[in-house]
Amino acid sequence: MIAPAPLLPLDRETKLALGLASPAFLILAALFILPLALLLAVSLQGADGLSLAAYAKLLGTPHYLKIIWNSLSLALIVTAISLLIGYPASFAIARAKGHWRSLMLACLFLPLAASVIVKAFAWTILLRSTGIVNQTLLFLGIIDHPIRMIFTETALVVGAVNIFLPFMVLPIFSVVAQFDRRLSEAAATLGANPLQAFLKVTLPVTLPGVIAGVALVFSLSVSAYVVPTLLIGERFPTLASTIAKSYLLTREEAFGAASGVVLLAIAVAVVMLSARFGREGRR
Amino acid sequence: MGGTLAGGTDLMEDVAPMPHPLPDHLVIQGLSKRFGQTRVLSDIALGMPRGELLTLLGPSGCGKTTLLRQIAGLAQPDTGSIVLNGRDITHLPPHRRSVGVVFQNYALFPHLNVAGNVAFGLKLQKKSRAEVEAAVKRTLALVHLDHLADRPIRALSGGQQQRVALARALAVEPSVLLFDEALSALDRKLREAMQGELRRLLHQIGATAIFVTHDQEEALTMSDRVAVMHQGRIEQLADPKTLYDRPATAFALSFVGQSLQIRGKVTSSEAGYSTIATEIGQVLAPRGFLPGSEVIVATRPEHVRLCEGDNTLIGKVRAVTYQGPRSLVEIEAGTARILAELSGREVPPEPGRTVLFSWPATETLVYPAEESA
Amino acid sequence: MNRIGLLTAWVMAISACIFLLAPLLVIAAASFSPTPVFDLPTSGASLRWYQRIGTLDGFWPALGLSLQLALVSTLVSLVLGTAAAIAIVRGRLPGAEAFAAALTSPLMMPGLVLGIALLQSFRGIGLSNPWTSLFLAHLVITLPYVARTMIAGMTRFDFTLIEAALTLGCTYRQSVLKVMIPALAPSFLVAGLFSFLASFDNYPVSIFLTDVRSKTLPIKMLQYIEEAPDPTIAALSSLILLGTILLLVLADRFVGLSRMAGTNE
Repeated sequence: MIAPAPLLPLDRETKLALGLASPAFLILAALFILPLALLLAVSLQGADGLSLAAYAKLLGTPHYLKIIWNSLSLALIVTAISLLIGYPASFAIARAKGHWRSLMLACLFLPLAASVIVKAFAWTILLRSTGIVNQTLLFLGIIDHPIRMIFTETALVVGAVNIFLPFMVLPIFSVVAQFDRRLSEAAATLGANPLQAFLKVTLPVTLPGVIAGVALVFSLSVSAYVVPTLLIGERFPTLASTIAKSYLLTREEAFGAASGVVLLAIAVAVVMLSARFGREGRR
Repeated sequence: MGGTLAGGTDLMEDVAPMPHPLPDHLVIQGLSKRFGQTRVLSDIALGMPRGELLTLLGPSGCGKTTLLRQIAGLAQPDTGSIVLNGRDITHLPPHRRSVGVVFQNYALFPHLNVAGNVAFGLKLQKKSRAEVEAAVKRTLALVHLDHLADRPIRALSGGQQQRVALARALAVEPSVLLFDEALSALDRKLREAMQGELRRLLHQIGATAIFVTHDQEEALTMSDRVAVMHQGRIEQLADPKTLYDRPATAFALSFVGQSLQIRGKVTSSEAGYSTIATEIGQVLAPRGFLPGSEVIVATRPEHVRLCEGDNTLIGKVRAVTYQGPRSLVEIEAGTARILAELSGREVPPEPGRTVLFSWPATETLVYPAEESA
Repeated sequence: MNRIGLLTAWVMAISACIFLLAPLLVIAAASFSPTPVFDLPTSGASLRWYQRIGTLDGFWPALGLSLQLALVSTLVSLVLGTAAAIAIVRGRLPGAEAFAAALTSPLMMPGLVLGIALLQSFRGIGLSNPWTSLFLAHLVITLPYVARTMIAGMTRFDFTLIEAALTLGCTYRQSVLKVMIPALAPSFLVAGLFSFLASFDNYPVSIFLTDVRSKTLPIKMLQYIEEAPDPTIAALSSLILLGTILLLVLADRFVGLSRMAGTNE
């Protein structure tokens, strides 16, 4: 349905649309955009007026650079593992029919509905010396005494992948489910063996889903707070824990704000990169 | 091997076989496939010389698409063999078969533009960049799309997409081209234009091609030969004219073109002619039959004249449908529904009138009564 | 798809499902432990931790706060978010695409950063009441979920259905009521479900806006875990999980999990 072009700049329909949209817009502006702008402003506060002291401390000290690297490397590892598991898994779910598919999708949605705290807590139980994982490994004879898993980086990665995996699978699944299998058949009739058909047709066509999943999991895991706190604690300081500490403990507002801005910048960069690559994929 | 049925009866005329000095390009023998209890394909056999355009024609569920997919390697038969160019390809995966496919929904790669799609198969063949570019250009010119090489797929119309799909399949110079209802997504005028164009193009490059369609007009227009399929079997394999004038079975008769059919019983048979008694009169058929057999007599509407002749019958005009170049007259005769075709220039009779109609005895077709479709 | 690829896909899918369910099963199992120590497998079953839930210090106020926050913010967001979605998809709104992107952008932003930003702003304007701050914060948390789901649902909605209804004798209003609302109801439910959960389970924003006396349930739970973990937490979590399973079953009944995951089936 094509609506006729408006004769006046603000005709009735546009006014109505503006009216409908303004409450949401106000909330967005007042409770999201302005606070973030204020955060930026606070981060630039020094002893006397504007200063980049907070950023200098954050980005100049090896201690804090290591912390930033912690967050980034955690995000990279978690994203990579989630992608390796999630991408093939999406194909299986997409091929499943009826109850099997519902069952597998339920396995994805159910954890989403449980709070991060509950899940991270569960992993602390699973990974203790007397926990199921150790018991199984002992039973299978792979180890002969319980190994320390809690508060290790392995525990952190395992727990984080567990939390963020659905966020990788769901965007990929929604694209893979709509992938026309005849495209692979066409590639085969044109001479592509299965590997070539996958690399040259299936992968590029499902790439938008992959990019969406990667962007989402990366930005979620780079800002993870609860999972590192419960599964590894002080041994692995992250940008998120630094922010929390600055505000809740040490009351260093400018520094905390600067950390927040940096974290935000990383998230924004991820979103923008994914948008750009998503667009390029459609030549 | 034109005009003979697979598992044929001896009630039909023989058509002189066409001479084939060279071995057939594509030979299919004994192909069968079962899905659970259903026999999807039963003992399919056919041979195609190089350069022939063959259509697999039939209603949905007759097995034509299954057969096509097996030739392409996208499905596997239970028994039988497919030999292409002297090579047994029955168990080869599709990418080793040299079979090109044009799909019903085109299956164009959305992440590549027109040139990218056409070049896809060529790039897999390790040709040089220059060779690929030249081949792409050539193929696009063949389908009159050379000016659209850089367009993304989603910017093309249905007809243009269809040509890209064709160019893509042609570019790799496959031994045989398969068209899976490839024209069904086009609107009517475009489809008719494409039918003629495709036929010319394929003949021009000497391609061997198989079309799958349920549209009998398309089959008759485009093919050198047609295989009429029904419930997993080939009922008749013949050139369009033979198929139309002398359908081998009642199903082929009903599926291709219009017809009128009346049940009857053979009363006598001598010197190559039979007399068949129907509820509305006697019909003469130009072949011998066992007296007493239950049969169906039939002919095409265009042979029917509204006057006395070899097989004169009587009936009442029920309706007249004007169709431009012709009119169809529906006549009620007993329980049979008769269709007569008049040229558009003739004045058709009025509904309700009683008329005499007849057709030449040489155009009488007869089938065993069990075959009634 | 060839055999190796298919096998890999299924192995990954099944492993992923087990992996994802593992913590939930552990929590459920631990909640029945007869001893205060989380020994798995449990040597018996006991419901005592479930009975203890109500006695947890500060539990009821926290539960009440979380429920109220989730319900109110979800309802408000549903109304405002749907209105905005209508304006974006059907109205001739200048800058509709940018607005839609802005509305859904908080979903990709670290909640933590939003938390401290709101803390700064509220302090700046002198707002110290935790209830109000939490409510406003949860509005921003829930609104993007509603916006995203409703915009997607409306974009998918075929407006020629309304035209068909009009030709069959409905007034414009009736068409909207009889055709569009039922078609959009699933999106509405999904939006409500996601918003509710997002608010109820939220930690990173809420932690900065609570004070000693008003805590939301997730914050309280983390406190319990850090201070005195015993299976009562597991029991509580199991109950919450059970409630969520029921919600998901309802969602599947009315909407279908496939549809929620973004396909058109």
